[in-house]
Amino acid sequence: MILPIGPIHPALKEPIRLKLQTEGERVVKAEIEYGYVHRGIEKIIEGQTWQRGIYLSERVCGICSYEHTQTFAETIENICGVQAPPRAQFLRVITNELDRIQSHLLGNSTFFKSMDHETLFMKVLELREYAMDAIELLTGNRVNMGWNVVGGVRMDADERHFKPILENIKKIEEGFERTREIYAEGPALGLRSKGVGVMTKKEAIRGRAVGPIGRGSGIKYDYREDHYTYKDYFDFKTIWRKEGDNYARTLNRFDEIPESISLIRQAIDNIPKGDIRVPVEIKSGYAQWRNEAPRGEVTYTIETNGNLIKHISIRTPSIPNMDSCAKYMIRDVPTVSDAVSTYASCDPCVACAERIAVTNEHGKTYLTDIGGVK
Amino acid sequence: MLDSIKDVVRKSSIHVCIVNCGGCNGCDVECVALLSPRYDLEQYGIYVHNNPREADVLLLTGAVTEQWRENLKRVYDKAPEPKIVVSIGNCPISGDVFNQEGGHVYAPASDFVPVDAAVPGCPPRPSEILEAILAVGPQAIADRGREKK
Amino acid sequence: MSSLMWYIYDFARKAWTDAFTNAKSLPELAEKPIRFRDFPKVNKEYCIGCGACTVSCPSPNAIKIVREKDDESGEGLTYPVITPGACIRCGFCAEVCPTDPKTLECGENHLIQPEFNIIPSKKQYIVDDYLCIKCKKCMKKCPVGAISLVNDKLHVDQLNCIACGECIDVCPVNGAMKEVFVENFNGQKDLILLAVNYIEDFVNSKEEDLRALEKDSLLQYDLPLDDIMDEALKIIPDEEVSFQIISNAINRLKIRIIDWDKDNCKKCQLCIPDCPTGCISFDENADTIVRDKDRCLRCSICYQTCPFSVIKYFIAKFSLADDRIIHVTVKASNLNEEILME
Repeated sequence: MILPIGPIHPALKEPIRLKLQTEGERVVKAEIEYGYVHRGIEKIIEGQTWQRGIYLSERVCGICSYEHTQTFAETIENICGVQAPPRAQFLRVITNELDRIQSHLLGNSTFFKSMDHETLFMKVLELREYAMDAIELLTGNRVNMGWNVVGGVRMDADERHFKPILENIKKIEEGFERTREIYAEGPALGLRSKGVGVMTKKEAIRGRAVGPIGRGSGIKYDYREDHYTYKDYFDFKTIWRKEGDNYARTLNRFDEIPESISLIRQAIDNIPKGDIRVPVEIKSGYAQWRNEAPRGEVTYTIETNGNLIKHISIRTPSIPNMDSCAKYMIRDVPTVSDAVSTYASCDPCVACAERIAVTNEHGKTYLTDIGGVK
Repeated sequence: MLDSIKDVVRKSSIHVCIVNCGGCNGCDVECVALLSPRYDLEQYGIYVHNNPREADVLLLTGAVTEQWRENLKRVYDKAPEPKIVVSIGNCPISGDVFNQEGGHVYAPASDFVPVDAAVPGCPPRPSEILEAILAVGPQAIADRGREKK
Repeated sequence: MSSLMWYIYDFARKAWTDAFTNAKSLPELAEKPIRFRDFPKVNKEYCIGCGACTVSCPSPNAIKIVREKDDESGEGLTYPVITPGACIRCGFCAEVCPTDPKTLECGENHLIQPEFNIIPSKKQYIVDDYLCIKCKKCMKKCPVGAISLVNDKLHVDQLNCIACGECIDVCPVNGAMKEVFVENFNGQKDLILLAVNYIEDFVNSKEEDLRALEKDSLLQYDLPLDDIMDEALKIIPDEEVSFQIISNAINRLKIRIIDWDKDNCKKCQLCIPDCPTGCISFDENADTIVRDKDRCLRCSICYQTCPFSVIKYFIAKFSLADDRIIHVTVKASNLNEEILME
């Protein structure tokens, strides 16, 4: 039988419809129905100046809102042939990594909630609040930060901000060890997550899985390796695992947090002096730019027409991740509750995924469906 | 006598369902942050259950999108009486940045369901949400119960 | 068994009683950091009404500029009003606000520097799509090829434009190609206000002529511009620029004049509820209808409502050429006749 879950359901945080094909308790196949939060944001950004567009791009997704503004700014900087000054690049790294920490912790807490493990859910959310504090202190807002502008960042930071940030990440580090241990070494959670929702490397490539989901399946690739700031100034290692199950994906997200913490430390220790913003004259042009968001790779394609944005196309990581989740992970899963936790383990962000409307040959518009464009 | 007992009970045990009818997710994240030990929503007797069939309070986030125009009313009808609707963030109030040329939203949400209280902000801080819910929620639900008797 | 022992031990320690009695919210719950961007704070008295905040705001319904009613002490204040239900707390309005000190304050966010200005050049040439007849004369004349046909509309590429102004000379339709000065907006506004007030005072002073005016006839006056030119030069010192701004404004200007003879008014008060701004009121002491000129929109609804045709409605048009004399033409409106004919 086909078991529909959602759009409003205790197991889901966001409106989406999961259609599980079951045989008894066993879930054989899954299908995802999108389209509950399509708002037409790309169309809204068209014809606006970048000054307004950057705040709109922030509202593509509320969880990884930061990376969207950075990619937007860097795409337009790329069109104009400028780079943000080094101090701004360092400040961008600090904010980016803080955002990554809070997003990973939130993704993991959702996974634990879907497994009904309240203790870890609470512990992880408690850690996340420290990251949120640091973000609010630095940028002035908790979620939609308004921190990037084309040519740099909006505000300068100094000792007053760096000291509390270091204190906050120290608190995260202290609590993090024990939390990770409960998950990684604990028998109950391990039994429920090891070997569930396995996606092999081949399937991950075929499903275009990116970010911690792809890295959990053995794709050793992080776009930060190729980004100019990280390449020039920072040392970090890409975390990846081979297993490709729920356990690997969640642990991969956990293990990226110490890397982010060390990146923040490096940035605060070595931050250069200088300007935080350079004036930019917007040219007509076309550029594509990629960045590693907490959930994977974000791609922006922007065409400008003088001061205005003529066309914008955003590719977010959630569509390939959720599609590969439905196609390869939820396939022969023993129970329905495991299927739900598998869905949560791919850290879905529905607001990211839904911006596309496709017109078929009869001129009827519909939203993206499973497997991309039908 | 029975009414006053009901009022006391209703004030102190509220089940909440979050309905995201098309926003950027920011307000939902802040609602999840409310569950964290720092804000601890459950100490006020509020339990986030995410099931409209047992909800007393519907927390509405997001501007109303095409798919939600009819479904929002259906979700609202499924919640048992007495119920109140609290809208969180700017989207249900005015449509926020999405309510301009090119957007596909049908804000405000009060066109579709009766909204009892609204918390502005994009997104509001958890403490602001908490303040608003505690200021409005318990009394409203007790009053609503008395009306609909 | 050991866990039971531990529970008893923990209970006996009475740490929980302390925790219970001294329970209070953590300070960081309600505390906001210094940089927190709350809803913008408005300092009414500094506002110059330039509208930069409304233009820059990413959220369409967040900022509205309102004007208070005038009173004895002077003109009513103009200031922005923030709607909390739509404001996204980005602080961009505070960043673009040009006044010093800032009218809008939002967090630690006042880093505007002249080089980050949004508008790049001094003059911009813009095609008015409604007036353009697409003769493409400007396209052929343009020395740098900045004008092109995009989606069946003529479009000026602002990056290539050298602001030579030849497209305006060649354009056969008056007003289809527009020259907009992008600097000193406030000066321009003051200048236009000065010219319009001057003309309006002049027309209002000719009350007797207006009342004697018959249908299908015109009133014509000549008005020298030089009376206000000295004052205009104080606002914008460049004579060429200020003359161009004034002539642009005056050539497009159409003033509507509402007037009625109070002796003929029957005091039926039908116009009072119909007025959309509520500027018409009945003065009981003086037993007469009063119209507040400053709030009147000149929408002509009262003229159409009046059953006795007491209220008169005129349209005045102006033209100003290089001879520096404003030619004024006043005509009675034939709005009511058109309605009757139908």
